[in-house]
Amino acid sequence: MDCPLETHEGSALLLAYSSGRLERESTVPLERHLETCPGCRQFVESQSSVWRALDSWEAPPVSADFDRRLYQRIEQQVSWWDMLLRPFRPVFHSRSLPIAAAAGVLIMAGVLLDRPAVVPITPPQQSAQVEALQPDQVEHAVDEVEMLDQFNHLMRSEPAEPAAKM
Amino acid sequence: MDERVKTDMGATAAALDYDAELMLRVRDGDGASFGVLLDKHRLSVIHFLYRMVQNHAVAEELAQEVFLRVYRSRSTYEPTAKFTTWLFRIATHLALNALRDGKHEKSQERLDDASGDLPVRQVSDKRPTVEASMVYESRLEEVRKAVATLPEKQRAAVLMHKYQDMEYSQIARVLNCSESAVKSLLFRAYESLRARLAHMA
Repeated sequence: MDCPLETHEGSALLLAYSSGRLERESTVPLERHLETCPGCRQFVESQSSVWRALDSWEAPPVSADFDRRLYQRIEQQVSWWDMLLRPFRPVFHSRSLPIAAAAGVLIMAGVLLDRPAVVPITPPQQSAQVEALQPDQVEHAVDEVEMLDQFNHLMRSEPAEPAAKM
Repeated sequence: MDERVKTDMGATAAALDYDAELMLRVRDGDGASFGVLLDKHRLSVIHFLYRMVQNHAVAEELAQEVFLRVYRSRSTYEPTAKFTTWLFRIATHLALNALRDGKHEKSQERLDDASGDLPVRQVSDKRPTVEASMVYESRLEEVRKAVATLPEKQRAAVLMHKYQDMEYSQIARVLNCSESAVKSLLFRAYESLRARLAHMA
């Protein structure tokens, strides 16, 4: 038998032996090896000490009200959860739930694809031009209107003059 | 091929696992079966969590969460592995989160102060003298500190191997790693423990 300390597998064998969990057929050759290998003997002795030390570590007793607290929490959860899920329970229990979910997704996808494309609304250019007018441009426009008005007035009064001459 | 082996293993585990059968009954609305599962696994879960976080109150709080999650998952439960693998996977996940969130800081305080939140030991029956009791407490403290210094995954692996009697394959499934990784974790963990505790023969 090769020295078990040389491989992880072999060490696992020694660990199992130290904890008394090694099968009978593996124990016999290992014990024969231990008689001649001081390294493995040392390993087994120190590992057995660790095992006994861990054995001495007892956990404290469980609180008397552990179950009561747990069931109280379960009841709280169940009450609001039940209220929420009660209408859907038959659906959840049904084996056809995945099929129904898939059908729902397909219908939703169909509805979304069928909708007309939305054209983004662009503001009319005219309003942009109005917004772009400067005060001096307005002043010029008013001046021009006044000039036209004066010109019209002049044109209307001019044919009357020859009549007056006559 | 591997998938088929896994499926077969899951099916066999479910067939042989009475706990999985009980859980299936819980899924079908049998509350009493949940009580049976709680009775069966309450101690092992709390003790595992206690040795992980080394604080009694935190361990019980986490154990409550473990069983609450088991109950909450009843409707989606599928027996793909042994029930205890699933149970300890939840417990380990919560313990590792608690350690990372710093809940274990309390346990570190407690390691420095042996009075802690542990119930007072009844020393009269097992340890007749105060001296013997003090020796016992100091040895126990050494064990607790040695385990507490192990990295989280090594600690979980050792606790499942030593106290839950779990095989490498089951520990591997709980820790979501390979069997050889578990062997390596345990080898390193026991190496550290031997260095710290071998003198306690």
